Amino acid sequence: MEKKIGIINRQAPHGSSTAREALDLTLAMSAFNESLSIFFIGDGVYQLLAKHQADFILQKDFQPMLQMLELYDVEQIYVCQDSLSVRNISVEQLVIKTTLLSTDEINEYLQQQHQLMSF
Amino acid sequence: MSDSEVIKFSLLVTGNPASSQNTASALQFCEAVLAAGHKICGVFFYLDGVLTASDLINPASDEVNIPDRWVALATQYKFALEVCVSASLRRGIVNEQEAAQLGLQHYNLKSPFLLSGLGQLAELSASCDRLIQF
Repeated sequence: MEKKIGIINRQAPHGSSTAREALDLTLAMSAFNESLSIFFIGDGVYQLLAKHQADFILQKDFQPMLQMLELYDVEQIYVCQDSLSVRNISVEQLVIKTTLLSTDEINEYLQQQHQLMSF
Repeated sequence: MSDSEVIKFSLLVTGNPASSQNTASALQFCEAVLAAGHKICGVFFYLDGVLTASDLINPASDEVNIPDRWVALATQYKFALEVCVSASLRRGIVNEQEAAQLGLQHYNLKSPFLLSGLGQLAELSASCDRLIQF
């Protein structure tokens, strides 16, 4: 049986390269594993917020690469509802289709994974 | 210990070796795993963890040289030290072949660290019993 792998994104999209390189890793892993789940928690939800202008701070705008997740058949994309609420972000402002989960549901889903990587 | 009791570990190291504890803790974890008779499938360095593979790291004489310790352990127990190539090139970690291709005058990848792709992390993830991130 293929391992279920969860990739957790908790950091804002810019300020460090972590978010971008985590997405690189996710896209690469998707070629080898079809049981990936991606979680956006805490400041990680800002990665999905539309209209980044990364070039103003000399950074690569990697947001278009999020669209690749669908092309690569990564469909289990989960966002923490509470993290969105406290940041006053609505689901309509997110650039890709996601499933919203409560904190309890996220805990449950994380426990179902065989391996976790956290960024 | 019988074969059925041996646990196969793979490690993902993402912390900067000079400014975070991650790489040193990963090394100590590996030493403990091996001392207990378990197995290391391999170690994959990503994000700032790739800086561990620089041959130019020179801590003061009263500090521990973490990269040297990795090399000693990996050589003794014959596991691979894989370094993500794209993360490395971004941070100035280059091997002889890449330097030649890119027209660079220098290269600095410490032997036997190996530049490899993220596919190798997928391989380590698939082949182990436990994946541990530092």
